[in-house]
Amino acid sequence: MPVQSNRVASDGMVVVDCDIHVNDLPEFLAPHCEMPWRKSLEILGAAPRRYLDIPGYAPSFGLHPPIPGGHSARSVNTPQAMRDELDALGIDYGILLPDHLLLFATLPNIEYATALSHAYNRWLVAQWIQAGSGLYGAIMACPQNPEDSAKEIERYAGTPGICSVYLPTAGVDPLWGARRYDPILAAAEAADLPVILHSVTVTSPVFPAQINQFENHFGRQVIGHAFSMMANLVSIMHTGVPARYPKLKIVFTEAGVSWVPCMMWRMDRYHQEYRRTVPFLEERPSEYMRRQMWFATQPLDEPVNPKHLVETMEHYGGADRTLFASDWPHHDFDHPRGLAKLPLTQEQRRKIMGENALGLFKLPMPNRLSKREIHSA
Amino acid sequence: MSGNQEMAERASEAETKSQQPASTPVDYPVGPASDFPPGSHRIVQVRTQEVGVFNVNGNLHALVNVCPHQYGPVCDGPVGGEMRCNASTGWKFQWSRDGEILICPWHGLEFDLTTGRCLAPKEMRLRKCKVNVVEGEVRVSLTGG
Repeated sequence: MPVQSNRVASDGMVVVDCDIHVNDLPEFLAPHCEMPWRKSLEILGAAPRRYLDIPGYAPSFGLHPPIPGGHSARSVNTPQAMRDELDALGIDYGILLPDHLLLFATLPNIEYATALSHAYNRWLVAQWIQAGSGLYGAIMACPQNPEDSAKEIERYAGTPGICSVYLPTAGVDPLWGARRYDPILAAAEAADLPVILHSVTVTSPVFPAQINQFENHFGRQVIGHAFSMMANLVSIMHTGVPARYPKLKIVFTEAGVSWVPCMMWRMDRYHQEYRRTVPFLEERPSEYMRRQMWFATQPLDEPVNPKHLVETMEHYGGADRTLFASDWPHHDFDHPRGLAKLPLTQEQRRKIMGENALGLFKLPMPNRLSKREIHSA
Repeated sequence: MSGNQEMAERASEAETKSQQPASTPVDYPVGPASDFPPGSHRIVQVRTQEVGVFNVNGNLHALVNVCPHQYGPVCDGPVGGEMRCNASTGWKFQWSRDGEILICPWHGLEFDLTTGRCLAPKEMRLRKCKVNVVEGEVRVSLTGG
C-alpha cells in the first residue's frame, strides 16, 4: 500500500478549493476562437513570451529586472495533470480560473476581448470540464462588453460542471460595481451562479493598479491583490449591488482575509454619516457582507500567533463566510495543511475546507464521503 | 506523473514519515563520496526519511527534505546565493555566497545550507542531520545535525 498522503480530508472532511488555475496559452484557445481573432491567437502562440507577460494577451508593464534566486513558475496543462495534483494535495474539488487571462480586463479592444471570452469559455467547457473529475468551471465575464457577457452567462447556465462566473478584476476599469456591469450581475443572479472576483498583481494606469512607483515585487505583491479587492468591495457596495441583486453571491479571492474587517468597519462607520448618499443600502454594509459575500483564505495571512488570524476572521463572520483556496499551482499557493495550524473547531474547519463551498456552488458530496456514509449507516 | 504532482506527493510522504520517531543514532550509508562532488545536490533516502545532501565548497551538509513553512519538499529546490543590502555593503545590492543558499520550490523561502537557518524569519530553520565520510562512503545520521 502506498504511503498515506496525509490528506487533511482523510478524517471525512470534504475539501473544495475555490481557486485553481489552468494554463490558458493563446495557442490552446486559438482553435476555439472566432475569426479574425483566431489569427491573432495563432500569432501570439508562435511569439516569444514569458509567464503572465504576453503582449496583447496578458499585458505586463514589465519595468523591473530579474533578481537571481527565487523559485520557478508552475503551470498545469491538462485536466488529468490537475486531477492528479489535486489528489496529491488532498483536494476533492477545484474551481478552475484562468492564468494569463487573469489580466483579461486590461485588454482594451472590445471585439477582441469579446471573442477571447467566448474562446476561453468554449475551451474551458470542451477541454477541462468532465463529469466526475471534480473540476468545476467559472464562466469568464467580459467587462469590456457587459451585454454580450450576460448572454454568455445565460448560454452556459445549466451546463454541467459550470458553477460560477469569474469577474476579471486585475486592472478592471471602472471597478466592479459600476452600473455598466449591471447586465453581468443580473445574469449571474438569474442563473444562480456566484461571481468570483480574482485579481493579480498588475501595473496598469487605472485605480488602484498604478503601482509602478514600487521598485520591487515585494511592494507590488503586498499591495496588488489586497488593494484590488478592497477597492472592488467598496465599489460594489457604493452602488448598492447587494441591495439591488439580493440573491447575488459574491466571492473575493487571492487577497487573504485580513483586509476584510478593516473595510467592513470603515463602510459601517461612514454608512452612518453618509447614508443619504447610498439610500439603497437599507442595512449596514456589514449585514450585506454577512449575507451575500464570501472570502477565500489564500494567501493565508501568517501572523506569528495563528490564533490572531482566527480572531480576525470572526469579525466578518468567521467560518461561515470563509472558503478554502489553494491557488494551485501558483508561486504562493497554500497547501490544505497550511490551515491545520489554525486553532479552529472541527465544525469550523469542515465549513471552511469545503462544506461552505458545497452549498454555495451547489456541488455534490464526493463519492469518497457519500460511500462512507452509506457504509456507516 | 507530472513534476508538479511528484512535488506534492513527495512532500506529503516526507511529512508523514517525519512524524515517525527518530531512530537511535546510527549512520546510514548513502553512497560513495565520489557521488557528492563540490556543488552537488542530491536527495537520498535514509530509512523512512528523505534527506538532501549538499556539497558546499567541499563540505557536506545534510538537511531533512521538509520545509517548516508549509511542509514543502525544500531540498528539491535550486541552490543559489544571498542577495544582501545593508550598511556593510554601503546599501548597495550585493550578490554573495553563491552555492550556499537553498530555495524552497514551493514558496521561495531561502535557507542557509550550512546552518539550516531561514534568511527571512530567522527563527525558522531546517532540520540538519549529521553527515560524514567513512572509508570513502557518505554516511548520514538522522539525529545530531
